[in-house]
Amino acid sequence: MLFRQAGIFHTDYATNRALFPLPADRWMIIILLLLALSAPFTMSSLLLSTNVLPWLVWTSAALGLNLILGWAGQFHFGYAAIMGIGAYTAVHGARNGIPWEIAVVLGGLMASVIGVVFAFAALRVKGLYLALSTLALQYVMDWVISHVPAISGGTQATLQAPGMRLLGQAVTSEIALYYVALGWCLIVTVFMLNLRRTALGRALVAVREKDFAAAVIGVHSLYYKLVAFATSSFIGGISGAILIFTFYRAATPEQFAVNVSIELLAMVIVGGLGSIIGSYFGAAFILLMPGLMNSLIAWVAQLMGAALGVEALAHIPHAVYGALIIVFLLVEPMGLGKMYNNLRNYLLVWPFGYARK
Amino acid sequence: MDLTLFGELAINGAMTGLMYSLVAMGIVLIYKSSAVPNLAQGAMTMLGGYVVLAIAGGFGAPLWVAIPLALATMFLVGVGIERVALRRLAGRPIIMILMMTLGLDIFVRATSMTIWGGTNRPMQLGISDTPLFLGPLLLNRTYVVGAVVAIALFVLFLLFFRTRMGIVLRAISDDYTASWSVGISVERGVALSWALSSVVATTAGVLWGSVQGVDQSLALLLLKGVAVAVLGGLDSIGGAILAGLLLGIFEGVASGYLDPLVGGGSRDLVIAMTLILTILIRPHGLFGRHDIERI
Amino acid sequence: MQTAPLPSPAATAAPSPAATAAPVLSLNNVEVIYDHVSLAIKGVSIEVPQGGMVALLGANGAGKSTTLKSISGLLRAERGLVTRGEVHFMGHNIDALAPQRRVKLGIAQVLEGRRVFEHLTPDENLIAASAVRGSRQDMARNKDRVYAYFPRLHERRTAQSGYLSGGEQQMLAIGRALMTQPKLLMLDEPSLGLAPFLVAEIFDIVRRINKEEGLSVLLVEQNAIAALEVVSHGYLMERGRVVMHDSAEAMKQNPDIQEFYLGGAKGHEFRDVKHYRRRKRWLT
Repeated sequence: MLFRQAGIFHTDYATNRALFPLPADRWMIIILLLLALSAPFTMSSLLLSTNVLPWLVWTSAALGLNLILGWAGQFHFGYAAIMGIGAYTAVHGARNGIPWEIAVVLGGLMASVIGVVFAFAALRVKGLYLALSTLALQYVMDWVISHVPAISGGTQATLQAPGMRLLGQAVTSEIALYYVALGWCLIVTVFMLNLRRTALGRALVAVREKDFAAAVIGVHSLYYKLVAFATSSFIGGISGAILIFTFYRAATPEQFAVNVSIELLAMVIVGGLGSIIGSYFGAAFILLMPGLMNSLIAWVAQLMGAALGVEALAHIPHAVYGALIIVFLLVEPMGLGKMYNNLRNYLLVWPFGYARK
Repeated sequence: MDLTLFGELAINGAMTGLMYSLVAMGIVLIYKSSAVPNLAQGAMTMLGGYVVLAIAGGFGAPLWVAIPLALATMFLVGVGIERVALRRLAGRPIIMILMMTLGLDIFVRATSMTIWGGTNRPMQLGISDTPLFLGPLLLNRTYVVGAVVAIALFVLFLLFFRTRMGIVLRAISDDYTASWSVGISVERGVALSWALSSVVATTAGVLWGSVQGVDQSLALLLLKGVAVAVLGGLDSIGGAILAGLLLGIFEGVASGYLDPLVGGGSRDLVIAMTLILTILIRPHGLFGRHDIERI
Repeated sequence: MQTAPLPSPAATAAPSPAATAAPVLSLNNVEVIYDHVSLAIKGVSIEVPQGGMVALLGANGAGKSTTLKSISGLLRAERGLVTRGEVHFMGHNIDALAPQRRVKLGIAQVLEGRRVFEHLTPDENLIAASAVRGSRQDMARNKDRVYAYFPRLHERRTAQSGYLSGGEQQMLAIGRALMTQPKLLMLDEPSLGLAPFLVAEIFDIVRRINKEEGLSVLLVEQNAIAALEVVSHGYLMERGRVVMHDSAEAMKQNPDIQEFYLGGAKGHEFRDVKHYRRRKRWLT
C-alpha cells in the first residue's frame, strides 16, 4: 500500500539509478532520518545510550563486515580483532595528544594495514580454509593485544579512553555522543548504498561469484580482494574506535575477542548477506533479542513458580542467541533483509499480487 | 639445552597431542563423510563429558556403566543434530554451514552451562595419579590411556572406511547429487557420520574430563582439534593422528621454552600460528586430498 | 506422428498382470517449476517401452535434463518441483518418492558431466553404488558384470577416478548406474566432451546392455546423429515441450530434423539458415 510503483516512469538513467527510485522509499528515508535526529529528545536517555547508540555502532561494523563477506564473498572470522586494532590505535593516539578525529582515522588506517595481512591469507586460500585462517589470526591478535602491556595498558588490561573533542569542541553529553555514532553509521550506510553503483562494487560482486571467471573478464581479482579487505578493515577499525569512545569509554581485550567476531558474523548472517537494511536488522536482533528473551523466560518462570538459578539466567541469553542463529539458517538463510524485501515486494503491488514480476 | 627437560616436554607433548587427535578425529570423521567442517566439536566434547557425569550422578551408575550409556545417548544426539540442523542445509554455501556449526557450538555450550552450571566437576576414571616412569622421564598415566585410545580409534576408523559403509560415506562427501543418483541415502549417511563423531567426542570428553575436570574449558579444545585436523589434512584420519603427535610435541616444547619468556599462556599462540602457517603453506595438510577447482 | 495413448485410470491404479506391452516408464503431462518461479518443462508426456531404447533430443535449455530429474527425483536437490502431471514407473506413481527409493525400484540416472566420485577408485565407486542392492554376492556379481562390459575400467580399477580420462569416467558413471541393477537406465548426455569414436564405443556398449539384459534405456542427447543410430524411437523437445515423437528412422528422414539437428543444411548460405531456422521453429 505504501509503495506504489504505478505512475512512476523513469525517463533517464539518472533517475532510474537513483538510490531510492520510488518516492515512497524516499519519504520513508526522510521520516526515518527525522526520527533518528529527534531520538535524543523523544527517547529516554537510558534507552538511547544503552540500546540505540551501541546498535548504530554495531550496525556500522556489521556493514563493514558485510562488505567483505556479502559483497566480496571473502570469509572474515576475525573482524573483532580488526575493530580492536582500530580502537587501540585510536585510544593510544588520543592519549598521546593526537586530535581525536586524526586518531580515529589513524585507527582506521592501522586496521586497514593489519586487514591487508588477513587479505594475504585470502590470496592464497578461499572458502573454508580462509575462514579457519582468519579465525586463527583472530586468536593471534587476541593474544598479542592481551599479552603486550604496551598495547593493552598494563596488568589490569584496561585502557581508559580520554575525553572526545570533535573539531575542537568537547563531546561529553550523551546526546552529542549519540550524534557522533549516528553520523558515522550514516556515512557507512551511504557508502555501502553507493557501492553497488560503482565499478568497485561490481568488481567485488564479480570476484565473489567466481574469482577466476572475474579474472578472465579483466577484473584483477587479487587487487580487488586486497581493496575489499582494506576498505572493510578501515570501516571496522573506525567503528571499533567509535565504539570505545562513545560506548565502552575504556578498552579491554575481551571487547574484541573471538566470540565478538562470531557475534558480528551472526549479525550479518541473520541480517542477510549483502543486505544493507539487513545489517541494521541483524545488529538489532543479535544485540537485543537474547536480553528480551531472557526477561521473557524469567517472567514465564516466575509465573510458573519455578525458580531459575542466577547461573542459569546468565547463560540462557547465550543459548537463545545460539538457537536464533540455528533457526534463522533453517527458516530464512538469506536473513531478515530478505524477509523485509519479500514484504516490500508484496506491498509494492498490493492488492494486485498477480502483477508481480 | 637440557635434554631431559626437552625429552619430557616432547613425550608429554606427544601424549597430549594424541589426545588432541581425539577431538580432531571427530572433525575429520564428519568432513570425510559429508564435507561439513564441524566447528561444534569442542562443544560436543564438553557435552559428552557432562552427559557421562549426568548419567553417573543422576542414576548413581558406576562410570563403566555410565560411559557406554553416554556413548549411546550421544550417538542419538548426533543423529538428532543432522535431522534438525543439517538436513535442510545440504547444498547451501559453506558459510551457512560454518555458521550453523558455530550456532550449534554456542547453543550446546550455553545450554550445558544453563543445566549444569559453571563449576568444574571432576571425572574420576580410577587412573592412578602417580606418574609412569620411562627411564628418567615422567609420564602422566591418563595421557598414556588417552594416547592408546586415540590409536585404537584410529585403527578402527581406518578399517571402517574400507568397508562398504565407509566407502559410501566417502562417496557422499565427494558428491551429494551423484550419491542420490545411485541410490545412496545421503541423509542417513550424514546422520551416521555425526553420530560416530559424537561418540568420538564423548570419548574425548571423558579422557579430557579426567585430566582437567569437566567444565566449559573443554569446549576450547576446538581450536586444538581444528589445528590438528587441518595440519593432518581435513579428510585424513591418519593425518589427524600424526598431526596430533607433531603438534603436541611442538606445542609442548615451544611453549615450554616460550612461557617463561612471555609470562605464560603461549600455548594458544603456538597452536594458532601453526594453523595459519599450515593453511598458507599447505592448505590440504600433510595427507589431505588435493581439491581441484574445475573451471 | 504417433500420439501417446493416455493411461486409463485402471492402469494407473494397479499394474495389470499382462503388462508386457505396458511401458516401463510413462510421464503424463509433467510440469516442473524451479524455485517457485521458473517454469522449466510445460506438460511433457513421454513413454519408454519395456526393453526399449528411446532418445530424448533437443537443444540446450529444451528441458531434457529437467525431464530426467523429474523421473529420478533429483529435482529436489535443485529446488525444483513437479507441479502438475504424473510420473509412472512400472505401474507405480513415483512422484512422492525420495531419489534413493526410486533407485531401489529400478531407475538409474547417469548424470550429465559424469560426476564420478573423484576421490574414490573406480572399484570403490562401484562398491558405493551397490549400497541399495544388499548382499555381498550381488555386489561381486554386479561388479564382474560391469567389468565385463567395460574391461578398461578393470584395468584402471585402483587408480583415482578423478584422474581417469573423460571416456573412462563416462564408462565408470554408466557402470556405477548398472551396479544398482536398474530396469531403466537414463543417460544424460553421455557424449558430452568425448571424441566421436568414444561416443560410438559407449553407445555400442549401451546397446549391448539393452539387448542382452532387456534393460530399458532413455537417452538424452544433443548429438542427434549418434543417438538416432542406436535408439528405436525419439522424442524431440523444445522450450519445455515435446514437439515431435516418431521412430528413429522416420526422424532421421524428417527434413526439419535434418535441417536443425543433423546438420544437413548443406548448400544454404549461413545467413539464410539462420533466418530459416528462426522462421521454422516449432511453438515459438
